[in-house]
Amino acid sequence: MKHLLSILLFLLTLPVFAQEPAKGAESAGSFNPGEVILHHVADSHEWHWFSTDNGNFVSYFPIIAYQPGKGMLVFSSEKIAEGKSYENLKLEDEHLTTLDGSPVYDFSITKNVAALIISSLVLVIVFTSVARGYRRRVGKAPTGMQSFLEPFVIFIRDEVAKKSIGPKYERYMPYLLTLFFFIWFNNLLGLTPGAANLTGNVAVTAMLAILTLIITLFSSNKNYWGHIFAPPGVPWALYIIMIPVELVGIIVKPFSLAVRLFANITAGHIIILSFISLIFIFRSAGAGFLSVPFGLFISLLELLVSILQAYIFTLLTAMYIGSAVEEHHHEDDFGTAEQSHGGSNLGNITRSDVAAH
Amino acid sequence: MPLPPAAGPEPKSDPAGNDRLRAIGKYSGIAFQMLATIGLSAWAGTWLDGHYRTQTPWFTIGLMLAGVLLALYQVIRSLTNSA
Repeated sequence: MKHLLSILLFLLTLPVFAQEPAKGAESAGSFNPGEVILHHVADSHEWHWFSTDNGNFVSYFPIIAYQPGKGMLVFSSEKIAEGKSYENLKLEDEHLTTLDGSPVYDFSITKNVAALIISSLVLVIVFTSVARGYRRRVGKAPTGMQSFLEPFVIFIRDEVAKKSIGPKYERYMPYLLTLFFFIWFNNLLGLTPGAANLTGNVAVTAMLAILTLIITLFSSNKNYWGHIFAPPGVPWALYIIMIPVELVGIIVKPFSLAVRLFANITAGHIIILSFISLIFIFRSAGAGFLSVPFGLFISLLELLVSILQAYIFTLLTAMYIGSAVEEHHHEDDFGTAEQSHGGSNLGNITRSDVAAH
Repeated sequence: MPLPPAAGPEPKSDPAGNDRLRAIGKYSGIAFQMLATIGLSAWAGTWLDGHYRTQTPWFTIGLMLAGVLLALYQVIRSLTNSA
C-alpha cells in the first residue's frame, strides 16, 4: 500500500517537478518542496498544526504498538518524535519499526484516525439533528440544517438510487447516503487549514471501495453471474477468454473507484501546496502575487471537486449495485427467456393475490 | 437516520441537466476504469517478474498489453450497453 501510494504520488507530482528545476534550481537550498508537500498529504503519528520561528505547534497521539511475545505498548508519540527511540521502537518515515528488526504491528491513533473520529462525530451530530427535525416537524417544511441537507438526500434518492438501481433502491439508500455525506464532509474537512487529508488516503478510499464490492457481490442475482460466466451473444468457444475478462472487471471497478477518489483529492492538495511553495522556491514575496490567486482559484475548484467526487463515487456504486440486482433484459435474448419469466411473474401475481384476499 | 425523508412535494426533475451530470459521472468512470485496468495489470506483471526473477520482463510486457486490450474491451462493452 505504501509503495503504491508513493508511486502514485510520484506520478501525480511529475508535472509540478518538471517546471521547477528550470526556475529555482540554484536557489532551492534547504527548502525541499517535494518533501514538504508529501509530508502534508501523507498520514503521520502526530498532528502538526503550524510552525513559527519559536517552534512547532504539534499535538501528539498515542502510539499503540503490538509486538508478538511482548504484548501491547501504549505511549505518546512525543517519545519517538524527531528520530528518538523509546522501548526498542522508532519511527522511520512515519513507519513504526523496532531497533533490532523484530516484528511490530502499528495500531496507533494516527492523524487520519483522529480526523476520522472527529468527522464521524460531526456527521453523527449533524444527522441526528436532521433526523430530530423530521421527527418533530412531521409533514411540515424543513428548517435550518434539515432544509439545507434535504435537497441532497432527495437528489441521491431520485437521481442516483432510483435511476441506477430501479425498484429495489430503498434497501441501498442508507449506504448510498452514508457514502455521499461521508466523502463530501471529509473532502471539505480536508480543505480546512491544518486538517488531515482523509479522503486522500488510499487506505480509506480502498475500504469504501471494498464495502461497495461486498455489497455488490452480496446483492447480486443469478442474472449478474449469468452475464459473467455465460455472456449473452458470445459463442461458447470464446468463454475461455471472456470469463477471466469479466472476473477481472469485478475487481477493477471498485479499484478504480478507490484510485479516482484518492487521486483527485491528493492531486488537488498537491497543486495548492505547489502554488504556495512557489513563494519559498523564489524566496520572494512577489511570487505571492501570482501563486496566491492561483492557489485560491484551485481551492475554490476543490470545493466543487469535493462534492463532484462524492457524487461520482455514490453514482458509480449505485450503478454497480444496479447491474448486480438488474432483472433479465428481454432485448438481449430476443425473447427466448420469455417462458421462464412468464412463470415467475405468474407466481408473483398468485402470491400477492393470495395475500390480498 | 431513524426516519426517511418525509414525502414532500415531488421534486421537479430536470432531465437534461441531470442526465448530463449522470453522463459525466459515468464516462469519467469508464476512463478511470481503463487507467485502473492497465495499472493493475502492469503492477501484477512487475510483481510476477520480480517474483520469478525473469531476465526479460515478459510478464510486465504481456500483462500490460493484456491490460490495454482488457480496458478497450471494457470501454466497448459499457458503451454498447448504454446505447
